Amino acid sequence: MRTTRHPAPRSTSQSALVLGALAVLLGGTAAARAEDASAWQDASSWREIETKYIFGFTTGSGIGLEGEKEFTVDSVGRFGKRDGHYAATETKYEFEFTPSQFVQIEFGALGSTHNIGGMTDLDGRNQAAFGGGFAEIRYLAVERTSNNPLSVTLAVEPTVRLIDETSGASVHNYEFETTVNADLELLRNRLYAGVNLLYEPEVTRTATDGTQREATFGGAAALSVRLAPNLLIGGEVWYLRHYDSPTLSAFTGDALMAGPTLYVKFTSKMFMTAAWNAQVWGREVGNPVALNLSEFQRHRARLKFAYEF
Amino acid sequence: MSAATVTLRTLIPAALGVIALLQPAWAEPAADVRVTYSNGQFQPGVVSAPVDKPVVIHVKNLDAKALEFESTSLRVEKVVAAQSEGIVNVRALKPGRYEFYDDFNDKARGALVVE
Repeated sequence: MRTTRHPAPRSTSQSALVLGALAVLLGGTAAARAEDASAWQDASSWREIETKYIFGFTTGSGIGLEGEKEFTVDSVGRFGKRDGHYAATETKYEFEFTPSQFVQIEFGALGSTHNIGGMTDLDGRNQAAFGGGFAEIRYLAVERTSNNPLSVTLAVEPTVRLIDETSGASVHNYEFETTVNADLELLRNRLYAGVNLLYEPEVTRTATDGTQREATFGGAAALSVRLAPNLLIGGEVWYLRHYDSPTLSAFTGDALMAGPTLYVKFTSKMFMTAAWNAQVWGREVGNPVALNLSEFQRHRARLKFAYEF
Repeated sequence: MSAATVTLRTLIPAALGVIALLQPAWAEPAADVRVTYSNGQFQPGVVSAPVDKPVVIHVKNLDAKALEFESTSLRVEKVVAAQSEGIVNVRALKPGRYEFYDDFNDKARGALVVE
């Protein structure tokens, strides 16, 4: 469920910060690439990497290894609205396993926190709560081989929330996220591009506002470079459109988010991924303000730790 | 006949069809591939298999400690105890080179070439 809209002064400092970070990231990547050609050749002896989590918020096509199990703690924080202070997190406590060489299954519980104050359209709140549950099934439709650098996975993720993602209010929210996760190995064991397509219809029932139907539609593009066998950095861009209808017939606004990504593999069975996105452009239908802070946030950050067994 | 019965009669075959599509064609005769592991190395280092046929990899561990046969591109992992043999079933493969390694020993590498 989203907040209603209201105008506020424009601010471009956050956008400039993000663009600067991206420029440094891409510049550093280019410099590293030119610095030592022989180091690039060495990557051919590195082990192949699982691509699912190397692109930040963008999901790669990897589905793991048959028989592999994994426990992860995956936190996403959303920060900043038009006024007041706003901080919300949702953490997935997730078990995932790969029963076949084409299918991966995940499920788990959600925990959420909300720290909201001084906002025009949202009640002040400082709470931590059990947020609901989710499950996901991923099917590898196109597999990468040494002759084909492209890999594509289709995924669906039904989610039930008892706490509204945005406001923190008690609700019954049913979401059905559908994604296409594709990635391309541009340079063997070294440079990867990721693309996501997202369609996320949801229905929310509240005690006071009745039933609200909405959908988010969009996509992402990401680039990740492997600096060392266990270290990847990159950048991603997300474009999201929001509708007050699951059939995408009532457009209410859109936003462009961008930011850096990091993936670190501590051991062969343990890794972390981190990402930060800032909204660099956005618009709200019928409200001539900078950014779309009604349906989206100024910043979002992701931190995930995983242990395979 | 109730609507629920009709729905079930429609849904069950459809679900079975989807499950069948998701499964690899294990019914096809598989190609056997044999790899030995000794002194921390796979022997031979490169093995081959035919295109579009399931593959059964027999991994014989002659060493005194366990190994974990693992491959990102084959999407398999299997722990093989010391002085024993493990069997790894792999789907029918497209042409290409599929690397594998011992997850417990970074120096132990090998490859399955499908052609």
